[in-house]
Amino acid sequence: MHTFAYARPATLAEAVALLEAHGPAARLLAGGTDLVIRLRDGTARPAVVIDVKQIAELRPAIREENGRLVISAGTVMTDVASDDRVRRSFPALAEAAAVVGSVQIRNRATLVGNVCNASPAADTAPPLLVSGATVVAEGPGGTRRIPVDGFFVRSGVTTLARGELVTAIELPLPARKLGAVHMRRTRRRGHDLASVTLCCAVDEAGVTRLAYGSVGPRPILMIDESGVLADPAGSDEAKAPIFERMFADASPSPRSMRASPEYRLAMLRVLGARALRTAIDRLARG
Amino acid sequence: MSEMLQTVPIELTVNGRRRALNVAVHHTLLDVLRDDLELTGTKECCLVGECGACTVSLDGRIVDSCLVLAVEADRAQVTTVEGLAVDGHVSPLQQAFLDKGAVQCGFCIPGQLVAAHALLAERPHPTVPEIQEGLAGNLCRCACYQQIISAVLATAEGTAR
Amino acid sequence: MRTDRIGGSPNRVGGIGRVTGSQQYVADIRLQDVLEVKLVTLDCARARIISIDTSAAELVPGVRLVMTAAHLPQPVPRFGPQFSDRPIIAVGETKYHGEPVAAVAAETRDAAEEAARLVRVEYEELPAVFTIAAALDPASPLVQDPSLRAGDPLAGTNVLREHRFGWGDVEVAASSADLVVENAYTFPMVTHFAIEPHAFMAAPDGDGIAIWSSIQHPNWLQKIISQILGLPLAKVRVFAPDPGGGFGGKQHTKLEPLVAFMALRTGRPVRLILTLEETFQAVRRTSAEVRVRTGFMSDGTLAFQDVQANYLIGAYADIADRVVSKGSYPAAGPYRVPAVRIVSRSVLSHTTPATAFRGFGNPQVNWAVESNMDEGARALAIDRLEIRLRNLARKGEAFIPVDTPADGDWEQTVRRAAELIGWGTPLQPGRGRGLALGIKSGPTTGLSYATVRLLADGSVIVYAGTSDMGQGARTVFAQIAATELGAPLDWITVVMGDTAVVPYDQQTSASRSTVLMGNAILRACQSIQAQLRTMAARLHGLDEADIVVEGGAVRLPDRELPIIDVLKPGLGRLGGELVGNGEMRKEAEPGHPLGGSAAFYEFNCTAVEAEVDEETGDVTLVRHVTVSDVGKALNPLQVTMQDEGAAIMGLGHTLMEHYIYDERGRIRNLGAIDYRIPTSMDLPLEMLSAMVENADGPGPYGSKGMSEGALLCVAPAVAAAVRDATGVAIRDLPLTPERVWRALRDRSTP
Ligand SMILES: Cc1cc2nc3c(=O)[nH]c(=O)nc-3n(C[C@@H](O)[C@@H](O)[C@H](O)COP(=O)(O)OP(=O)(O)OC[C@H]3O[C@@H](n4cnc5c(N)ncnc54)[C@H](O)[C@@H]3O)c2cc1C
Ligand code: FES
Ligand code: FES
Repeated sequence: MHTFAYARPATLAEAVALLEAHGPAARLLAGGTDLVIRLRDGTARPAVVIDVKQIAELRPAIREENGRLVISAGTVMTDVASDDRVRRSFPALAEAAAVVGSVQIRNRATLVGNVCNASPAADTAPPLLVSGATVVAEGPGGTRRIPVDGFFVRSGVTTLARGELVTAIELPLPARKLGAVHMRRTRRRGHDLASVTLCCAVDEAGVTRLAYGSVGPRPILMIDESGVLADPAGSDEAKAPIFERMFADASPSPRSMRASPEYRLAMLRVLGARALRTAIDRLARG
Repeated sequence: MSEMLQTVPIELTVNGRRRALNVAVHHTLLDVLRDDLELTGTKECCLVGECGACTVSLDGRIVDSCLVLAVEADRAQVTTVEGLAVDGHVSPLQQAFLDKGAVQCGFCIPGQLVAAHALLAERPHPTVPEIQEGLAGNLCRCACYQQIISAVLATAEGTAR
Repeated sequence: MRTDRIGGSPNRVGGIGRVTGSQQYVADIRLQDVLEVKLVTLDCARARIISIDTSAAELVPGVRLVMTAAHLPQPVPRFGPQFSDRPIIAVGETKYHGEPVAAVAAETRDAAEEAARLVRVEYEELPAVFTIAAALDPASPLVQDPSLRAGDPLAGTNVLREHRFGWGDVEVAASSADLVVENAYTFPMVTHFAIEPHAFMAAPDGDGIAIWSSIQHPNWLQKIISQILGLPLAKVRVFAPDPGGGFGGKQHTKLEPLVAFMALRTGRPVRLILTLEETFQAVRRTSAEVRVRTGFMSDGTLAFQDVQANYLIGAYADIADRVVSKGSYPAAGPYRVPAVRIVSRSVLSHTTPATAFRGFGNPQVNWAVESNMDEGARALAIDRLEIRLRNLARKGEAFIPVDTPADGDWEQTVRRAAELIGWGTPLQPGRGRGLALGIKSGPTTGLSYATVRLLADGSVIVYAGTSDMGQGARTVFAQIAATELGAPLDWITVVMGDTAVVPYDQQTSASRSTVLMGNAILRACQSIQAQLRTMAARLHGLDEADIVVEGGAVRLPDRELPIIDVLKPGLGRLGGELVGNGEMRKEAEPGHPLGGSAAFYEFNCTAVEAEVDEETGDVTLVRHVTVSDVGKALNPLQVTMQDEGAAIMGLGHTLMEHYIYDERGRIRNLGAIDYRIPTSMDLPLEMLSAMVENADGPGPYGSKGMSEGALLCVAPAVAAAVRDATGVAIRDLPLTPERVWRALRDRSTP
């Protein structure tokens, strides 16, 4: 591994100052499950690594605040997956967090790191999109709230500005009853990066929200308000054209070795149909 | 502390023993355990968090020590395979690994044991799928998986010697 | 009921070290003043090296040596177990991605890594071959310089060797067969992925050299180092600590000569621990394309087998050509086949040198031939179990005409597997069953020596040159000594892995050690027993012929004494010990196509029930049954561990493992992230293993070698189950969800 300078700021202000001072030469370190690998293989060569884990404001915490669930930047997947409020209100997010890597990985990997890494295959991205999550960023200009749909650009790139870091993710507590599920395709049953990720939520008003990833440069959110998809009695023929419209933006890379574009696109449809069925079922069962 | 450093003094407790040392910031906890503290029970294989050979417990949770910088373990409690035996006697889980034939070449075993200890601490009576999922981050190429699962079950049931 | 003796399953000898972390593998041994070595490689497969500039690297603080071919004796020595074709370091040209062109030795790993990055290599990438088709194309470049292959008629091609085996007249048989089934099958390139990456150390040792290696064949390494350095064997000391998994990938010399030269040049100990990625570039299994034409009579009896197997080996032969010949030789399987023609080729390519890998060339052809058996059965509407039983060789039958006759009642094994899988019972929809037989020739030659010392207090030291890489040789050897000399297991020490101390053993391969080294140890124990008889006769004024030493006791005509009661008075006041030596040889047979007949056969039947998700292509193994004929299980728990471990390893190449190359011959899925092996979540929902024991093997107590058998026929059994469930036959491995999905999508008739 290349050497670098290491900083462990204790406050948000210090961290922002460091980020501003070093610009692109600085990298934030949360759980390190992405970053340490890249430091070792040389694809990231920062001059400065800023460890965010001692920042008081980012300490692991999941709290309820003004109708939102706020997950701090220090919170790891293990805690997201086992938190009662997450499981109750955002079961698909809990499911997604529970399949990220192995126990060892989930004990280190943060939800915020997963989002900031902006991998198209990030498992938590689809449920966050479906849940209408907001990324809370702190920077030289103060606090910014970015809808997660406006956060992802492409692998490794987000709309975070120079000097900004993410302090938390906020999820509006659902006003309506809904059924949701997270699904993925992998090459084996043991931990694996997914070749398709998909989250589907159906609410009692008949709105279906579908988000999927690993089939293009960034995860995608689609919403069907027609009620056709959510209709438990609706026929597959009626649903098919809507699905097709929702999946139209999928453009998997032919360079990937995990699966061919053809297979990914086919599996997107299989998972879409399965997830919809499960979501409708879960909604019905309450 | 926010001044920038390339070597950092750290203090940590490893298997109940306090250790203070200077570490290079780009060295991992795995490097420091093996090279500086000469605790070579923790193994190195993939260095990308896939195999679990480097599993240690960090403040009560298992992690892949190849993905943790040593500085991040400052002030932490670390347990490695060397810390599992009690008063010089192997733990019931270690004994169950031997009784059930869960050890072939042994190279993955330190990681498996640390992970299985943590699993049992959290779930004293795991089901087979819970054991499979709890230990999926520990590859065994000798593929003693069936026997490892039996050993964990036997320990949970208290039927290990 | 635990017992230390044969037939019991005591805790593994050496187990405590393995569960406490105190077991020392090569990388755990800390030599004083050791220098760390890092290899320098190029980012392509084949390249002409124009120049190597080491000046920047040499300036890195702590760097002590940057070694290139120029520092070595010229011409740079070459070595290999079969052909001396592999140079110590790349000379003039790299031949595969990852071949070292230079190596740095430095005081720290950091310095070595930094310096390795700073070695400037100017090179020109050259056209190269990565597939069988490309390698066989006459227009393609040659992998090996014909000058290295003097007198070889194939030197102008990429075919290293072509092997022809068989009997009977296939063409005549073909003209009278009722059914001929012909298909082509492919077997992927897979790697050993031992969790312990290879590790090598060397240090000057007085007027000689000491080498540490995680190697399976320390004596072979000793010989190669002695030849290359021009040192007598006695001045080359090889330490071979128990490897952390070998599976064949640690049989032969790899980078030990390089570290030896680096140690001599620096005058310091040096060590090189490969990364997992580097092990992918160091060892792999031969991939293969196998075309099989099988002839049947209408009643299902086999008329002929016509097998053409092209195995893709790497840039240097290592032991791969032997893999090809020995692996393809029993291709016709454990069946009575009147006419057989096998043509197999080892085809060179600019890829990772292929080497031995559990199963040794057999799984590749077994996959094809057993799958074709299923095709024949289906075409003839004969039950797939039945057709196998109908053709299966009976015990004592010379199913391979000039070789060892069938050495087991194999039908028992097959019937047991069929029973455990519930063959013929109704299946749930979406599920299918498959069953396949596997056979592998054991060692064809062998030489093992053992020394056993019975110490004055009745404790025992066994010296055996076998490597215990997980198979549990130490435990079985101790059990033999316990059984013969009466000591409890914890009074027995088994010393291995030091050529200066332990007598010669040819190798740890081909599941030989229980049989060959086991017999050597048994003989050494018997020699001690004979000495005890003499002692007892002397002490008790009896005739030796009236004394029996057996099962750890000395039986006199009127009573039985524990060995110690003879040993103590027999040794007298000065004490001392009894030393026994044992030797076990299996001589070469010059006229034999493989140089020797099989010491035994490993025979296995694997049966699976699988469920296929037709939308995604996911294959779930509902039940996996593996049954092996082991002659006699000296340690039943270890037999189960080996069989189940081998079965799961077989699921790797069957369902998920394969190298993916790019157009420049680089392995794209280099490392653990994208090369998938089975985890604890990828197991069959139920795994059942069983063994057949008729004490009909050549090893101690009637044992046979085992530990590869359960891997041999996993792939055809699983593919057959997929076929049974879905109606599609897939002839390429691995059966990834995507591949199964494609096959289902493309099937003509649902
Ligand atoms: C073996 C293995 C298996 C995995 N499996 C999966 C999987 O199944 N599914 C999946 O989705 N992911 C998987 N991952 C990746 C997953 O672990 C990461 O994406 C993780 O969530 C990242 O979090 P972290 O805390 O480790 O981030 P780090 O590695 O510390 O950081 C990741 C990136 O985010 C930036 N960053 C971190 N914190 C902040 C912040 N507060 N503000 C701004 N930027 C920040 C970092 O600079 C870096 O670029 C796997 C990783 C490994 C090693
Ligand atoms: S070495 Fe750390 S997970 Fe493999
Ligand atoms: S025991 Fe060998 S890798 Fe697990």
